[in-house]
Amino acid sequence: MSGIRGQVLNKVPEVTAAFWAIKLLSTTVGETGADHLAVNAGLGAATTTAITAVLLAGALALQMRQRRYVPWIYWLTVVLVSVVGTQVTDILTDKLGVSLFVSTGVFACALAAVFAAWFATEGTLSIHAIVTRRREGFYWLAILLTFALGTAAGDLATEALGLGFNLGVLIFGTVLAALALARGVGANPVLTFWLAYIVTRPLGASLGDLLSQAREYGGLGFGTAQTSLVFLAVIVALVATLSLVPPTREPEGRRGA
Amino acid sequence: MRTVILAAVVAVIIGGTAAPLVLLAVQDSAGAAPSTFSRSSLGDLSKFRTIVVDVKALADRGDLPAAKARIKDLELSWDGAEAGLKPRAAADWHIVDKAIDGALEALRASPPEPAACHRAVDELLAVFDRMQAA
Repeated sequence: MSGIRGQVLNKVPEVTAAFWAIKLLSTTVGETGADHLAVNAGLGAATTTAITAVLLAGALALQMRQRRYVPWIYWLTVVLVSVVGTQVTDILTDKLGVSLFVSTGVFACALAAVFAAWFATEGTLSIHAIVTRRREGFYWLAILLTFALGTAAGDLATEALGLGFNLGVLIFGTVLAALALARGVGANPVLTFWLAYIVTRPLGASLGDLLSQAREYGGLGFGTAQTSLVFLAVIVALVATLSLVPPTREPEGRRGA
Repeated sequence: MRTVILAAVVAVIIGGTAAPLVLLAVQDSAGAAPSTFSRSSLGDLSKFRTIVVDVKALADRGDLPAAKARIKDLELSWDGAEAGLKPRAAADWHIVDKAIDGALEALRASPPEPAACHRAVDELLAVFDRMQAA
């Protein structure tokens, strides 16, 4: 659409089935990892957030310095954004006593504001042309907010509606399928992408809970550690495949949206 | 394109503000108040209560370091069961969670204050008994 040819190739991956699979699984792995540090290792929520925020800053700096999309750096950044976005909501809720109703509303408005500013300065929200540093800044800020919003909205569904993970998998999965269908029949690709990005956060969490929770709570009883290790192995395998198999088409190629 | 994006942004702002308010209203009308007088719908909490009884016995004996070590088991198992328990009765879950936090904080203070530890552990046991009362 804009035809901007920056100094760099598109810095973010094309949206494929593998993209959504990694995105979905990274949510669970990120949350379990943070939880493990905070509770099992006994570091506490504050220290864990500080550590992961520093790691995120490092990964983001590395990602921003690349001139093209490098799968492992990009996905490492996503996992860390997932952890920090989740922790921001957890700290607001658990430590500062902010109502989930308030945080859900505020994060939704903040995300809308980021999209508005992004569109106002760039004239596009296309995720196929993240070719300048400013666009990439908007992209990562939006992603951080989708994780914070997805966490708050998912927790709100649990708290206010008593939505457990079984029903959660069903409902959030249906929403995702509906978005895929809408995209298939010509709905706005940018809008459906970001809505799917939000809904995969609670879907990933519900899916992780379904596998890890004990049978007495309706889960499959695989345990948190095993579930996360399996998810992590799948992520590593997918990212490795993406790294080794060269893209069939120039990643910068597709324009518009 | 511009209209679609603007419409989407407006929709998110309105939805983001209205949806939580609607949920709040639904929650109020559903009477989500903690169930103080009947058995909590959290279900069987006996495996957690057992740990609290151990912690109390250790604290009563004056062995606060051992009590601190034992309550970690409660922290881990309670945290691990959050996704299973919380949807059953979020308000009750928060009451128990807060009481656990209180006991953890008292036992992990440096140095731990015996009176505060006893008070926090007794309160925690009382909360579990209230939740399990028939």
